[in-house]
Amino acid sequence: MTAAQLDGDSAGGPTVRRMLLGAQLRRLREARGVGREEAGWEIRASESKISRMELGRVSFKERDVADLLTLYGVVDDAQRDELLSLARRANTAGWWHTYGDLLPSWFQSYLGLEAAAAVIRTYEVQFVPGLLQTADYARAVIRLGHGAATAAEIDRRVELRMARQQQLFGRPDGPRLWAVVDEAAIRRPIGGLAVMRAQVAQLIEAAARPRVQLQVVPFRAGGHAGSGGAFTILRFRDPDLPDVVYIEQLTSALYLDRREDLDQYALAMEQLSVQAEPPSRTPQLLAGVLQELDAALAG
Amino acid sequence: MAEGRPSPATGQPPEIDASVAHSARVWNYWLGGKDNFAVDRTVGDMVREIFPGIVDAARHSRAFLGRAVRYLAGEAGIRQFLDIGTGLPTVDNTHEIAQRVAPECRIVYVDNDPMVLVHARALLTSTPEGTTTYVEANLHQPEEIVRRAAGTLDFTRPVAVMLLGIMGHVGDEAQPRSIVGRLLDAMPSGSYLALSDGTNTSEAVVESHRQYNESGAVPYHLRSPEQIAAYFDGLELVPPGVVTFTRWRPDPDAGPPAEVDGYCGVGRKP
Repeated sequence: MTAAQLDGDSAGGPTVRRMLLGAQLRRLREARGVGREEAGWEIRASESKISRMELGRVSFKERDVADLLTLYGVVDDAQRDELLSLARRANTAGWWHTYGDLLPSWFQSYLGLEAAAAVIRTYEVQFVPGLLQTADYARAVIRLGHGAATAAEIDRRVELRMARQQQLFGRPDGPRLWAVVDEAAIRRPIGGLAVMRAQVAQLIEAAARPRVQLQVVPFRAGGHAGSGGAFTILRFRDPDLPDVVYIEQLTSALYLDRREDLDQYALAMEQLSVQAEPPSRTPQLLAGVLQELDAALAG
Repeated sequence: MAEGRPSPATGQPPEIDASVAHSARVWNYWLGGKDNFAVDRTVGDMVREIFPGIVDAARHSRAFLGRAVRYLAGEAGIRQFLDIGTGLPTVDNTHEIAQRVAPECRIVYVDNDPMVLVHARALLTSTPEGTTTYVEANLHQPEEIVRRAAGTLDFTRPVAVMLLGIMGHVGDEAQPRSIVGRLLDAMPSGSYLALSDGTNTSEAVVESHRQYNESGAVPYHLRSPEQIAAYFDGLELVPPGVVTFTRWRPDPDAGPPAEVDGYCGVGRKP
C-alpha cells in the first residue's frame, strides 16, 4: 500500500483515516501473531480498546501507535513514519467541524464515512435522498424534524446539507450515488407543490449525471424487500474496509459492519434494485410526475 | 448465470437467491470483492482449500481480460465489444479498458443474472463519446443475444466477442462449440473472439469443481486445453495462440509466468 492510498481520500477526513490505520494495525498484529490482549497490555489499555482502535472507532495517541508498531516488529523508519503521520492526520477535524454545534457525534461519524465512500447506495421510502434534495425541499424536511428550531438554525442545517452535496459531487473523484427510492418519495409533495416541482425537475437533472443512478420502486411492485425502512450502505475503495450499513433513527443512528448484518442489508438492497425500474426508465417516470405537478399547479 | 427473467405470468421480479452459491458472487469473493453472501464465501473457501490456485487463476483470468481488450482496442483497432457473461463489476471492466484506449468504443454487456445486471447498469457507465448497454439474455440463445445487441452494435463492422470464464456454464449436451460458432457466424470478417476458461489440468482443480458442482450451485464444466483451442477453429489465432492465462502476451515486467489451470486465446475471423 502506498502513502497516497493510505492517505485515503483526502476528502475522507479523520473517520476513514482512523479506519485505514486501524485496518493496518490489525493486519500487522495478526501477521506477527500477537493477541489483542497482549497488544492492549503493551499500551496499558484493554483488549476491547484494541478492538475499537482496529475498527477505527476511537482516536489514536501517536505514542500508542508507536508502541504497537514496535511490538509488531515494524522497525523500518519509512513505514513507521507513514503510519504515524496517518495517526496524526486521523486526529484532524473534518470539513463539517464548523457545524459541530448542530451535529450529534453519530452524524459527524456518518459524514466522515460518507465523504470517504466510493459508492453510496441508499434506499429511501418517504423522502428524496438528502444528497439529491434542493435547498427548499431540504428546508421543508428539516422543519419536519426540528420544529422548535430558530429560522437561523434551520438555514444552517440546510446550508450543511448543500455543503455535503458540494463536497461529494463537486470533486472529480467523488463517490457514485446509487439511490433506490420508493415511488412515494417522488410523489409526496414535501414543502408544497411548487417546492416539489422544483425538486422533481432537479432530480431529472441529477439522474442524468454519470455518477448518479436513480431507480424508482413503483407502487405496482407491491410489497417489497425494503419494508423495513430507509437505509444506506457505504462502500469504500480500500479492499480491507468492510461496507458499513447506516440506519438513521429519530435520535441516533445505527452502524452495522458485522458480516451477517451486512449480508442481510446487502441482500435487501440487491432485491430492491432488481425490483425497481432500471435507471433508464427514471427520466420518463419523473417527467410523468412533473406533468402531474404542473397540472395540479395550473389547476 | 443462474437466475431467470421475471415470470411473464406474475410479473414478479426474479428473486435473488442467497441460499446457494452463485458463480458471479463466488468469483467476486475470490477477487477480493465485497458483493458476495455467506454461502458464496463458504463455497469459495471450500474450493480454495482443495485448489489453492483458484484465487490466482481468477486474478490471472482478469489480467488476461485487461491485456486482451487493450490489444483489441489498440493494435487490432476494434471499437465494438460484445461481452457475454459480464460478472459483477470489478476494477478495470471491459468498457473502462477499451474506452481508455479509444473513448468512442461501444460495449454491450450480456448476462442473465438479475443482480449482475443491476450492478452493471448502475456502475458500468460509459464515457460520453462511447456507449455501454446491458442485455439480459442467455448464452444458450446466441441468436437472441445478437438480435438484442443490434441496437447498440453495428454488425456490418468488426466486433470483439468476449467469452471469459463463461463457457463452462454450457454442458456438453448444449454443444458449446456450436454456440460459439453461431455467435461468430453473425459477425463480419475482421471480428475477433477472446475466450478464456478453466481447464481440467490438475487433480486439485478437477476435485474442487466436482465439489463446487455438488454444492447446489449451477454446475461448471471444466474442459481440456484442446477443447478450449477447438473454440477457435476457423479463426486466425493471434500469437501466441491458445495458452495458459499467464502466457498470453504478458506485460514486459511480469516476470516468469505462473502455472495456472486455465487457457485463453484471441482469434480473428478471416
